[in-house]
Amino acid sequence: MNKKIVSVIGVILGLFSLVFLWNLLKPSKEVDFSAEIKPILNKHCITCHGGVKKNGGFSLLFEEEAFANTESGKPAIIPGNASGSEFIKRLKEEDPELRMPYEKPKLSDEEIDLLTKWVNQGANWGEHWAYSLPQEVEIPKLTEEAGFSSENTAVVNNGIDQFILHRLKKEGVEPSPSAEDNILARRVALDITGLPPNTVLFQNYKTGKLDYEGMIDSLLAQPSFGEKWASWWLDMARYADTKGYEKDLGRSMWQYRDWVIKALNNDLPYDQFTIEQLAGDLLPNPSIDQLIATAFHRNTMNNDEGGTDDEEFRVAAIIDRVNTTFDVWQSTTMGCVQCHGHPYDPFKQKDYYNVMAFFNNTRDEDTPDEAPALRFYTPEQQESIDEINTWLSNHGDENTAKVYTDFLRFQEPVYKSHSLQDFINGSYDDHASAVLWNNGSCRLENVFTHGSEYLYFKHYSYYSGVSFTIRKDNAEGEILTQFTLNKTEEPVTKRIPIKRVHGPINIHIEINNPKIPKTTNALHIYWLGFLPDIPGSDQAGFSRIQRAFDKAIDFKAPILPVMAENPEYISRSTQVFERGNWLLQTDTVQPATPSVLNSWEASWSKDRLGFSKWLVDKKNPLTARTLVNRVWHQIFGRGLLSTVEDIGSQSDFPSHPGLLDWLALRFMNEHQWSIKALIKEIVVSGTYRQNSELTPETYQQDPENELYARGPRLRLSAEQIRDQALAVSGLLSPKMYGPGVMPPQPEGVWQTVYSGEQWLESKNEDRYRRAVYTYLKRTSPYPSFLTFDAGSREVCTIRRTVTNTPLQALVTLNDPVYLEASYHLAKAMQSSDTIEEQLIHGYEKATLSTISPEKLNALKALYDTSLNEFKKDNDGLIQFLHFDANPTAELGALTVVANAIMNLDEFLTKA
Amino acid sequence: MDQIERLIREKLMRDAQAKTRRHFIKDCATGLGGLALGSIFLGCDPLEPKGKKEKIVFSDRDLNPLATLPPPYTPKVKSVIYLHMAGSPSQLEMFDHKPVLHKLNNQDCPESLLQGKKFAFIKGTPKLLGPQAEFSQEGESGNWVSNYLPHFKKVIDEVAFLKAVHTDQFNHGPAQLFMHTGSPRLGRPSIGAWATYGLGSENQNLPGFVVLTSGGKTPDAGKSVWGSGFLPSVYQGVQCRSEGDPVLYIEDPKGISRNLKRSTIDAINKINKEEYAKYADPEILARINQYEMAYRMQIAVPEIMNIESEPENIKEMYGVEPGKESFANNCLLARKLVEDGVRFVQLFDWGWDSHGTDHSTAVDLGLRNKCREIDRPITALLLDLKQRGLLDETLVVWGGEFGRTPMQENRGNKEMGFKGRDHHGDAFTMWMAGGGVKKGACHGKTDDIGFLGIEGRVSVHDVHATILHLLGFDHEEFTFEFQGRNYRLTDVEGEIIKEILA
Repeated sequence: MNKKIVSVIGVILGLFSLVFLWNLLKPSKEVDFSAEIKPILNKHCITCHGGVKKNGGFSLLFEEEAFANTESGKPAIIPGNASGSEFIKRLKEEDPELRMPYEKPKLSDEEIDLLTKWVNQGANWGEHWAYSLPQEVEIPKLTEEAGFSSENTAVVNNGIDQFILHRLKKEGVEPSPSAEDNILARRVALDITGLPPNTVLFQNYKTGKLDYEGMIDSLLAQPSFGEKWASWWLDMARYADTKGYEKDLGRSMWQYRDWVIKALNNDLPYDQFTIEQLAGDLLPNPSIDQLIATAFHRNTMNNDEGGTDDEEFRVAAIIDRVNTTFDVWQSTTMGCVQCHGHPYDPFKQKDYYNVMAFFNNTRDEDTPDEAPALRFYTPEQQESIDEINTWLSNHGDENTAKVYTDFLRFQEPVYKSHSLQDFINGSYDDHASAVLWNNGSCRLENVFTHGSEYLYFKHYSYYSGVSFTIRKDNAEGEILTQFTLNKTEEPVTKRIPIKRVHGPINIHIEINNPKIPKTTNALHIYWLGFLPDIPGSDQAGFSRIQRAFDKAIDFKAPILPVMAENPEYISRSTQVFERGNWLLQTDTVQPATPSVLNSWEASWSKDRLGFSKWLVDKKNPLTARTLVNRVWHQIFGRGLLSTVEDIGSQSDFPSHPGLLDWLALRFMNEHQWSIKALIKEIVVSGTYRQNSELTPETYQQDPENELYARGPRLRLSAEQIRDQALAVSGLLSPKMYGPGVMPPQPEGVWQTVYSGEQWLESKNEDRYRRAVYTYLKRTSPYPSFLTFDAGSREVCTIRRTVTNTPLQALVTLNDPVYLEASYHLAKAMQSSDTIEEQLIHGYEKATLSTISPEKLNALKALYDTSLNEFKKDNDGLIQFLHFDANPTAELGALTVVANAIMNLDEFLTKA
Repeated sequence: MDQIERLIREKLMRDAQAKTRRHFIKDCATGLGGLALGSIFLGCDPLEPKGKKEKIVFSDRDLNPLATLPPPYTPKVKSVIYLHMAGSPSQLEMFDHKPVLHKLNNQDCPESLLQGKKFAFIKGTPKLLGPQAEFSQEGESGNWVSNYLPHFKKVIDEVAFLKAVHTDQFNHGPAQLFMHTGSPRLGRPSIGAWATYGLGSENQNLPGFVVLTSGGKTPDAGKSVWGSGFLPSVYQGVQCRSEGDPVLYIEDPKGISRNLKRSTIDAINKINKEEYAKYADPEILARINQYEMAYRMQIAVPEIMNIESEPENIKEMYGVEPGKESFANNCLLARKLVEDGVRFVQLFDWGWDSHGTDHSTAVDLGLRNKCREIDRPITALLLDLKQRGLLDETLVVWGGEFGRTPMQENRGNKEMGFKGRDHHGDAFTMWMAGGGVKKGACHGKTDDIGFLGIEGRVSVHDVHATILHLLGFDHEEFTFEFQGRNYRLTDVEGEIIKEILA
């Protein structure tokens, strides 16, 4: 062929392809899968073609599924060819039997258009933004005239304001002026410390001795900061003072609550805060504090109800830990994946069990004693413990020393009584012990004795002279040990010599004493444990150490349930539960993290410690975004991404995506995971400092304040409402930490089954402690908190719904707690001279605002009515102020007014 | 269903949902509603923010999250009274007549029945325990009832029995949660919360969802059985008590007269209106409204909780004991509450866990007493509702969280001193009566010893689907979005039990 012709054809072909390409690309810009296509698929298709149902063999959840052959034998989507794609054809179908979505309205023309364009453009699959790393974003530049107006200062204070103003400008919305100083001081103090600012701080700020930033620094340094923000974290950690479920008995968890308060006050960086709570026990030489932190996941409920299977509720606790971990750190509802692939987010069922494998290897087994539990020794006890530990490190190797240190800390690992089986003349009694009668026996399988010389055995014997025998394998097996038990006064641990055996064995346990009446309980067995022999048996002082150890095991000490990992030889394997049913276990899985998220570093151990490092790795796309979104939500009452529980394909789109990522990156990099620095950055912004006044116009424009053209105006939390009332009345106790307290609550609120536990009203200053210290019984939480939307902390709560109900009015009007506070505020008001001054005093003390004449008139009218009533009705007055020896009608009337002040919207709200 | 009709209904359904508090602010922006303002602020100053031209329009639910909403479909009933026998009553001594079990009394339970089964307390091979009550067929329907319930035969033709209900939970706490929230784990709203969320309440001076307990204890699963789960907490059940304040904090402090409380609320609301003039925040208006409601509730609740004022013949009919906490009192209260427009009344009576560990839990002794405690009140409740024409618009549901075994319990693998039965979820009896329910129906059948359902088995989800249907909801469409997912009471299951519908 002629070269010229070839080149002409070449040119023509080239032109054609250019035109073709131009046609393809130029007139319509590329469709964005994440922003434009995925939302349509999620809204209209994914219910029937997703992770749960895959109708017609077609699913749109994962790329490989979307382009795979369907039941028809062909793929539904043919990239580049919309008209040939069943996926598009079905959308346009006129026959309702064939048209998709099935039995639903037809998609809009725009939606069909977009999908068509997307297929024609090659149907490029994209990753949802939530699973890509936060983007380095440039702070939007602002023109000169933009800015928050203020009489005193220019308040474009930081990057936040530039993002916010940029969007406001785009929407043509004006920001609001700064809030008045007093309003702002109250707002920021409530946000940081949960309390109104104290008088000195407020005066210093009002008089200009302290600038705004100085006030914030001072507030962040107050111990009340940790008490305020702990409530937020404890909701997620499902912290409570009882175990939950039917019996709901008390548990000693408060050391964990105190740890959270201290960690927040010390500004423990969030990555470390995370690691210590999820895996503090696996850190090298963990401190007591790091062990306490692991109680985070011991806040799961413990079921002591008679007849419940401990294994079932152990598994339920593990499932709760997986779900809570993902709820708290990843804004991801892993709970969905327990039974099947996630209906809309890219998680597969196996992902769930892979994660579960990280958590499935802890010692806790839903036993009533909540083992493993960290023991807190008295100084004298600790002295003895230290002596033992010193001996062990002097005479033994590191491993042996660790076994003993751990055993003295939380008495694990042991074989618990619920593992005993094949009972003859005996049974497991449902209260963490097995019970045997005369000629009673039972079996324990797969026991590792480590060739130990001794068996440790916690028991309670009702009789003396009971012969106790342990045999290998069965009733006819070789005797490993035999001895006589004596009557004990309480459960005690006994050290018994046993024949050295190596390798796992099955043991047969029996007791005999013909004097014991038939079917009468003779012996309770709580646990059996084997420890390597104490080293240095040939050294002087050995027997003293041995005796000290025997004694130390039964030291009485307060406890805290904590995490402890199974040693290798009793580690559990994890299997997939078919349809989420724990009795139908299928494929065995290994610990692994979901593939859609950040990858695993080889240097991480495949345990909870590695997992927690993975969570706080800077390459995890969700951890920092989740945290900054939630802190923002705490302050503004709305997240930058409004669905604070869920960041994923079904969540709302962030109102300010650039700001969310900018804050997330700053939080990790500039602020080094400092929560205090993040809070400060938010509250110093001009955005935060705007006033929160609305007009009908601004309200209609943006009812939810999504654009942040005004400051936050929100009802206070249950805790804040109590704490504020106590603070302004001068009753609030500054005492921190310790067991939960029981301020007055109505009679008869606790009425739970099988529990003699009672609400014993606290005395003295414990009546007036901050709400965070109030005893929380899961099946019956403190009633007035419940009314103000606090939860029962049975499961992880990310967000409390804020309601506005008549029952709330009844609490602040009639609860004796608020009357007592009103009375004390009234007494403080009496320090002013005239009635008018007294009313002004009370109002200003409570709200930090200057009273308007109209409001003062209203209070004065109420005062006059009350005064008249009480003057006429002295009996009524005496009943009303029953705690006052010589009540006056004036004080009665002031108390009524003070109570009215504590019911004002402006008191119950941060404006 | 016709395609268009379906679409219209879907639209209605969506509108109804959109009117919830969660979405209310958006609604305000588009000016939906605004009807309630006038009636709520009778004689008030105009609520216009100062110097601001336009008035904000609110929907009913902006100001009151319990404002009435119409159900998406035609309802058969307006309210529900749910009688829960906490601990779980023995169907074998009450409604499920098993003559063969009587013959097999004291024989070893066949191994085939025990294989793969888990029990709470039964160990080894238990013995079958024949029914401890006498049975007879009563009414025109000829349905069976035992001599433990002599009064009940008068109303037996009003009732539709479900003889083969099953649950997969056999411990009290999880089973009660499952029965009331559709999930054995915590965190889901209870059925009463769903109903109140979907329909609001007809009486704004009373809570929309009231809980009454008797038997000296609250249910095993705690207050979560009437909790609101992920729904706003305003929809949770409010416990009304026979002793102490009927509702917590409802009573004025001693020495405060009604007049003085009125003045207090007037002062608060006057100042709140000033505040509204400055901030124009609709939450302030809602709060003003809530304080007015609280004031009215303080009168209405003690009034309705007072049964003394009922006529003697009514008190006698129920067998009430004023001033005490009793199931009879609660039945009478339930009638008064639904009569006054309360949406959902939940009764829990504790003490039905007939394990045979002592006299009170023996199926031949204590159970008989428990039956005596409920027989007259329940009969009276149905008759009283009927004579007032309320039974047609009320649904009454009766049941426990599971049933009891045909085997005698042998706790600790020992013969026990009293006759008792263990927990049993495979087959148990519930009944419904009232609007839309087929009178005298009996659906489902168990095998000869009452161990398994062999016909007409229905699940807890089916029961829920049926209750929602009678209230005017399609249980598959009635959802709430939480954590990116649409949740419903029946999860992904549930079928309406058509056999018992009129």
